[in-house]
Amino acid sequence: MIEKLVLPEENIISNGCFTETNNNPPTKKRKRNLPGTPDPEAEVIALSPKTLMATNRFTCEICGKGFQRDQNLQLHRRGHNLPWKLKQRTSKEVRKRVYVCPEKSCVHNHPSRALGDLTGIKKHFCRKHGEKKWKCAKCSKCYAVQSDWKAHSKTCGTREYKCDCGTIFSRRDSFITHRAFCDALAEETARVTAASHFNNLVTPSRNINYHFVGPPAFQPLSFKPVPENPLDTTTRQDGLSLWTNNDLMNQLEYQTNWGVFGDKDDSSDHQVNAPSLFSTLNNLHHPTATATATMSATALLQKAAQMGSTSSTTTATNNHNHSSSFQGNFSSNITSSTAVGNVQDDRAFCGLYTTSPMMNNSCYGGEDMENGFSSLNEMYPPSKTRRIHIEEGQTRDFLGVGIQPIGHPRIRFDHV
Amino acid sequence: MERTHLSPYSNHHPTTAKPPPNHHPYPDPAATETSPDDDHKWASKLLRDCAQAISDKDSGKINHLLWMLNELSSPYGDCDQKLAYYFLQALFCKATESGQRCYKTLVNVADKSHCFDSARKLILKFQEVSPWTTFGHVASNGAILEAFDGESKLHIIDISNTLCTQWPTLLEALATRTDETPSLKLTVVVTAAMVRSVMKEITQRMEKFARLMGVPFAFNVINGSDKPLGKLSKQELGVQDDEAVVVNCIGALRRVEVEERGDVIRLFRALNPRVVTVVEEEADFTRSRGDFGTCFEECLRYYTLYFDMLEESFNPTSNERLMLERECSRSIVRVLSCDDEHNIGLGDCERREKGKQWCVRLNELFSPVAFSDDVVDDVKALLKRYRTGWSLASDQANTNTNMDSGILLAWKDEPVVWASAWKP
Repeated sequence: MIEKLVLPEENIISNGCFTETNNNPPTKKRKRNLPGTPDPEAEVIALSPKTLMATNRFTCEICGKGFQRDQNLQLHRRGHNLPWKLKQRTSKEVRKRVYVCPEKSCVHNHPSRALGDLTGIKKHFCRKHGEKKWKCAKCSKCYAVQSDWKAHSKTCGTREYKCDCGTIFSRRDSFITHRAFCDALAEETARVTAASHFNNLVTPSRNINYHFVGPPAFQPLSFKPVPENPLDTTTRQDGLSLWTNNDLMNQLEYQTNWGVFGDKDDSSDHQVNAPSLFSTLNNLHHPTATATATMSATALLQKAAQMGSTSSTTTATNNHNHSSSFQGNFSSNITSSTAVGNVQDDRAFCGLYTTSPMMNNSCYGGEDMENGFSSLNEMYPPSKTRRIHIEEGQTRDFLGVGIQPIGHPRIRFDHV
Repeated sequence: MERTHLSPYSNHHPTTAKPPPNHHPYPDPAATETSPDDDHKWASKLLRDCAQAISDKDSGKINHLLWMLNELSSPYGDCDQKLAYYFLQALFCKATESGQRCYKTLVNVADKSHCFDSARKLILKFQEVSPWTTFGHVASNGAILEAFDGESKLHIIDISNTLCTQWPTLLEALATRTDETPSLKLTVVVTAAMVRSVMKEITQRMEKFARLMGVPFAFNVINGSDKPLGKLSKQELGVQDDEAVVVNCIGALRRVEVEERGDVIRLFRALNPRVVTVVEEEADFTRSRGDFGTCFEECLRYYTLYFDMLEESFNPTSNERLMLERECSRSIVRVLSCDDEHNIGLGDCERREKGKQWCVRLNELFSPVAFSDDVVDDVKALLKRYRTGWSLASDQANTNTNMDSGILLAWKDEPVVWASAWKP
């Protein structure tokens, strides 16, 4: 499960809305709020499902016309040529409104996890608790929110998946199956061992834009946040020390904010931000895809999986969606790029994963990034060259073996 | 018959383009007039005549036809030439009663040349160009995921012939589609010797991939060739009481000796699975066991479809297609020329049954589960991703129950693969 980040500045909310206390040591300040941690001063609104899904919540007091959005209503009101006084909103300062999800079992049902946007809560309700009425014709994936479905349909079938071995697939299922059996997967262990020679090759930078010169020893990790590791506050300010200390424990930042999923990219205050790392390192072939084009295949595979499962991930108002869908995703995000820069630190590193049963010490290192590791590639020639083509041998052997026809010397069963 | 202009050997080069359909170098002695259709189907006619001669024990005719087939056939030619080639081998074995020996030799040869790399390449390529196997995978995985919904300890007993290529997509689905990723134990029962040799590699890959996906995973391989499949026990399979069990059986039931199929189904029932997914090729080589002629007809019909499908799915010069065709030769020899009475212990029976027939067997202990609309949609979407010629047919043939028992993959409207799901 995702560990909820509680930002130091918003730790304890005094008006009683929040009952959680900050059990976790404060993490590095993140720009974006965790989805569903609203302003404590906000007014919490609970709507019934019916009201929530009603399409015309905003009605004009003059003519009674209903609108889906407040902005539309305001636009309409202007057309009534109201005298100035009436043009203004009601005098009192409208309190910021936050909404809770009507579904009782939902985490957003509690006021402390209310969402700030009406559209957001509508979409959330549909996505999580609603019926998936919209289905993609190509891959038959279902969506509850029409805009999610539309967004998916645009990209469905258009993305390409590239495996480490270089093969490109247009079909996701072929890619997944291939990936599972690809030699590149098997070779990662070898690479990890070799990669251990390259470590700490990072230039200090405030933005922590690491320039990798060697193998991806310190690929930005996307992995399950492990709550047991108290994060040293001192390491937050000095990003470099993280790396140079080789204290991989400290590297584990909570990656709830993956730019790869179309989140707005965070500013430089962010630490270990996967997308920015990639983007600075590699040329983006597909700028719109942000980090997609530059990600390792494993991450690609997982991203593909997540893109599929998390519907529209580009709406900023749905951060909470990320966190909940990430739960499933994070476990799959223990990318093979578990940055095992150092074999000697393997133990320390992998010890981190003792909490998750599936991890063991064979942390295979990251895949090559697509550009920039030609040196590595030279050292580790693609696995294809190793494969022995024995199909030809099969040809010769087949049926050349002693099926002697009786009395029919002309009948030949070999076809050499 | 003129032989000078016969050139069966000119087609031996694998890269020779397929001759135009109307080109027929040899006059068919039996045909009075040649039409494009006849030209195309000379192999089936000759083969049928030969089979008939064998049934009639007309040795003169047998010899003559075998010789002709030998002249005209080639594993590198067009469909007719290939069919002629592979069936000729089986007919020859039947005529000379050397089926068992031939089969054993074929198996040994294939065993020796089998390796993980080649097997992997072969099956992945096949899956890329044809939904023959992926059809069953998608349907089964869909049914399995639905049966496992909400469970956290999953155990799949897999008895299949697709070298675990079904599981990566399932693992991915488990990792991404479920809120809480369950743990999966996969027990693979291996019967064919060839598969055993590659299982080590497959084990590694599966485990690595599951780690990648973040699914807690355990993988076991059970050797199922020591004794009849039906005699395996729950303990041997490692089934525990707190697990949700599913049995996945793809292309494997046909390899069980006909008399033992009931036992195997009983074994499945004893495991108390949530669902049993069965996928088999739609052909009947079982009912006609005693009747060579009927069996031959069915065999010819089925493999003509299969070879035709292979030809249209692969590139003309594909090595993989060649290998798949060769794999057929073993089955054909086994079915046509190995008498069952002497074949206990030969392993891998290959006597297919149609979906209807499997239904009769399964209905004794299970009841059919229709694939959900979602799964059917997934299958349809899958078929769209391949070349044209593929379609979905519902198996309405089972008149015992009102439910659809299984779906059928059809190639050019002929059903070829049957997929079904069953619950206790």
